[in-house]
Amino acid sequence: MGRKKKKQSKPWCWYCNREFDDEKILIQHQKAKHFKCHICHKKLFTGPGLSIHCMQVHKEAIDKVPNSLSSRSNIEIEIYGMEGIPPEDLKEHEKQKQGKHGRAASPASSGDDEPAPKKKSDGASTSHMAGQPPGMPPGAMPPGYPPMGGGMMPPMGHMPPFMPPGMGMMPGGNMPPNVPAPHLQNKPLFPSAAAIASTASATTSNSSAATANSSIGPVKPTFPAYSSGGSSGSSSSLSDQKVPLINSVGGSSKIIHPPEDISLEEWKSKQPKYQLLKAPAAKPVEEAAPVTSSPASSQTTTPTQPTPEITKQPVVNITHLNNNTRVVDSRFYQFFQQQQERRMPQMQRMPNLAQHVAAVSAAGLLPPVSAGMIMSMSGQHGFMRPPTIPLIPASMPLIRHQMPIHPGLIGGVVPPPGAMYGASVPGAPMAFPGPPLMLPPRFR
Amino acid sequence: MFYTIHSPTTIELSVRSASIHVVQFTSVFSKLLSCDFSRVAGDFISFGHLKSTNMTLGESSRGEFRLNYSTEETISAVKFGRASPQFLLISSWDGSVTLFDTHANNVRIKYEHSMPVLDACFQDAVHAFSGGLDNTLKMFDLNTNTETILGTHSNAVKVVEYVQEVNCILSGGWDAQVKMWDARTGRCVGTFNQPDRVYTIGLCGERFVVGTADRKVLVWDTRNMGYVLQRRESSLKYQTRCIRCFPNKQGYVLSSIEGRVAVEYLDSRPEIQKKKYAFKCHRIKESGLEKIYPVNTISFHQGYNTFATGGSDGYVNIWDGFNKKRLCQFHKYNTSITSLCFSQDGGVLAIACSHMYDEKPPEAIPESSVYIRYVTDQETKPK
Repeated sequence: MGRKKKKQSKPWCWYCNREFDDEKILIQHQKAKHFKCHICHKKLFTGPGLSIHCMQVHKEAIDKVPNSLSSRSNIEIEIYGMEGIPPEDLKEHEKQKQGKHGRAASPASSGDDEPAPKKKSDGASTSHMAGQPPGMPPGAMPPGYPPMGGGMMPPMGHMPPFMPPGMGMMPGGNMPPNVPAPHLQNKPLFPSAAAIASTASATTSNSSAATANSSIGPVKPTFPAYSSGGSSGSSSSLSDQKVPLINSVGGSSKIIHPPEDISLEEWKSKQPKYQLLKAPAAKPVEEAAPVTSSPASSQTTTPTQPTPEITKQPVVNITHLNNNTRVVDSRFYQFFQQQQERRMPQMQRMPNLAQHVAAVSAAGLLPPVSAGMIMSMSGQHGFMRPPTIPLIPASMPLIRHQMPIHPGLIGGVVPPPGAMYGASVPGAPMAFPGPPLMLPPRFR
Repeated sequence: MFYTIHSPTTIELSVRSASIHVVQFTSVFSKLLSCDFSRVAGDFISFGHLKSTNMTLGESSRGEFRLNYSTEETISAVKFGRASPQFLLISSWDGSVTLFDTHANNVRIKYEHSMPVLDACFQDAVHAFSGGLDNTLKMFDLNTNTETILGTHSNAVKVVEYVQEVNCILSGGWDAQVKMWDARTGRCVGTFNQPDRVYTIGLCGERFVVGTADRKVLVWDTRNMGYVLQRRESSLKYQTRCIRCFPNKQGYVLSSIEGRVAVEYLDSRPEIQKKKYAFKCHRIKESGLEKIYPVNTISFHQGYNTFATGGSDGYVNIWDGFNKKRLCQFHKYNTSITSLCFSQDGGVLAIACSHMYDEKPPEAIPESSVYIRYVTDQETKPK
């Protein structure tokens, strides 16, 4: 049959059941994926060739073709492109292509997820020919998937085999096979691309930014497709919570990240050992800079773990001190906590900061310092540091930065937090008094 | 199988310093114990890669070595000096900022914050800036060993960057502000409100791109900070992790916590915007479950406009963003990659490797380490 011949003409890789438009690319693929020596990266021509190479050059036996399906890993069979494929496998592959949907999870689709995204483009180009998309193993992609997103995303066509599997793919590419097909039909393949297109016009992006700003929930307003899509039904209920959580992905994949939608650094900083330092440390800073934004500070101090109970007064003293001096030991946290426990009774007796400082310095921990002296401290610290060699001879010291600036002076310039983002441009001049936003001429 | 595979690597690796040797072998051993043979094979593939790199260089002393730097805490940033790759600034969650001599492989100078340091940068060879959870921005004169507190944010300082073009320091914090500091006087010359907590800043000549929580992206121009040049939303669905700009200033690369990287263009004309795309990376498939890792860090090769990404999966990949190709992948490091930095000449890549987050942290938290890798054109040049 003529039609049959057309389908046959699509070369495929015996080792991984992947299809290609061109036999040349198939051979490239086989050389890169299946016939490459894992030791010296030399690309051989056939499976037996690879095994002989490894045996002779590296003294190493290879019993399986790399990256192959378990049933097709025979290194003895000599296959080059479409040549050498056992006739029964050839027949079976043809049968599969005829569109027997019965074998939902064929070894081809479950064994290797890489082919799936690339077949998508195959399918898109050929799907007009028949009712169901030919040229893909059943189960890899449910029928009735949406067409390619037009010009939104340059279609990748066939990538060279050394291309990473994910390159050029957009969200929604890698569907878990257990997601029911109807979901996919109303879920655009490239929702982000649609959003991208709108960013060019300032008005749309502004309004969307404003709405997203007012609601704390995750990305819902900008990606309605996702919340209706099959990604997760639970995400909508989660969005009501105060701390937004990250949306979960499909069933077969998992994001290795804390559940809250905060950065890893924020998450880490909420660990008790940092909170212990952080919570009291916030105080002196606020004293220094009276105009601090209360929402911001409350947001960091909301502890996920309960902060250990400590008498407040002495801790404030310690951290205030630490704020202004430098801490020398690199293992300072454990050290600090031990010391703190030891010092606790002593300090309750001496709430006065000056006395406290004297006591600490008497214990040989930190040099005597008065709380207000920030700058003058810096020169005297060599004593605990390992011997250092100045980078540039000390004969050319730079004195320009010696002017002390109290943190409070600069912190005080900060505008109240309310007037920030919504009215960004008109609100901005509040940021600093005097000559507004234009930089001083020296910056040009 | 174990021994036969081992022999070539043993011979090959013994030429480098003993430290890598041990680290890489322990990682192999741990995988062998868990009977994960595919991963073991993966490691040997990367070993083979290391070997071929050495061979192409023709000098086996090069390649990769581990710095003689140790901390029990997470390393937050590594930054090379502008002039030469000899000096590396390392900031850490132990509260220290270290100036490290990579040639002599020793610590030159170390100074401390009272709280974990989240970022640091060089201004020039003698001035370093740093900020962290203590909310303060510090300047340290490496010549005179003096430190100066420039000022504070009302929450942690997440980003510290030096803009050479206008000689100023940018600091971005979780108080949703970016502050600009005159590098000569150390004075704050402007406070600029951002829509949300600042997570990352990418420098692009005089412009810079701010990535915040809630996936906002803002493009600013240091020459006119009166308004936001562009307001965008990340094209990725998940939280922004890192933004770095192409050295040719055409666009930027944005990574998210969901193993994905977007390549974006600053020019807002539709024909240019059409070129933007995103791709998946830093994912590991294990027994049917795909683990998706945050892409923590990006660093550009200043000459070739290619970039390296580091993920919590412990891999470093180098990509050619314009041709949509991966140029290479290094071997797996023992834990998350938290920071990467190419030297100015692009010949060296500093790799900071620290435990950041895992679902269930192992009993012994992997040690933090910094590797210096001499990269070849083969690994970094577009093909």
